[in-house]
Amino acid sequence: MTRADWLLLVAVIGCLPLLYTHFWSREGVARYLQVQEGNQPARIIDLAPDRELVLEGPLGASGIEIHAGRARFVHSPCPGKNCIQAGWLAAAGELAACLPNRISIQLRGLHPRFDAINF
Amino acid sequence: MLIQTTPEDHRIAWFAALAITIHIMESALPSPLPGLKPGLANVITIAVLLQFGWGAAAWVSLLRVVCGSLLLGTFLSPTFLLSLAGAGCSIGILWLAGRMPGRGFGPVGFSILAALAHMAGQFTLAWLLFIPHPALWRLFPLLMTAALLFGIISGIIAGAMTTEPRPCRT
Repeated sequence: MTRADWLLLVAVIGCLPLLYTHFWSREGVARYLQVQEGNQPARIIDLAPDRELVLEGPLGASGIEIHAGRARFVHSPCPGKNCIQAGWLAAAGELAACLPNRISIQLRGLHPRFDAINF
Repeated sequence: MLIQTTPEDHRIAWFAALAITIHIMESALPSPLPGLKPGLANVITIAVLLQFGWGAAAWVSLLRVVCGSLLLGTFLSPTFLLSLAGAGCSIGILWLAGRMPGRGFGPVGFSILAALAHMAGQFTLAWLLFIPHPALWRLFPLLMTAALLFGIISGIIAGAMTTEPRPCRT
């Protein structure tokens, strides 16, 4: 094995995981936030500008922060706070929901693949 | 009239015959995935490249594809086109790799490059001509991983074939 052989081998082994992440990644980069409030039709919100949204649900106002292409619940009047503990949503397809306040948010890419998956 | 042949022609013919034999034996192996083959005929291409240079290796590789397909009955079929695209790409990359400065690549490096180029070329043609569906690319990482593994193995075999045997000690 020459030095060029080793370099090539390391480079190829280094690039293979990139192939897997590129071709096996789910929806690609998140572009939009899909917001569902109660029974209203879902709203699509651009992720580009950073901002805070305040959404009114049956229990009160839930705050959603959009920052650097990610989104999260900041505060919500629900008892469990599961929505806040879901943390930042970063990849397309990720979802957080506040069921008591009937609000859910989901990141969408350009090519949504599934509405839901059942096992 | 008799065609004048040189010793070089005979050598290429012999190596091509060897490569075709391996190619045909391999075609009898079942494959878990379409396009997945050990590609041991690559060993001959690499060994010829190391011993006799790029021109001889290109001849052996192309003769293997054409004559192998004639014997298997796949001449001008999709299989043949894929094989030809793969062989063309791997010969092309070997030409580039042979122009590396310094000591350059050894058998394993050449073999890995040839295997990856073969797979990538064949895959791209399959996608362009036969199955133009984006889902096909999901197979690509797996096939490239397999190509890397088989490339390493072929390279080691080619290296063992071309080094001088050690003198026996008594």
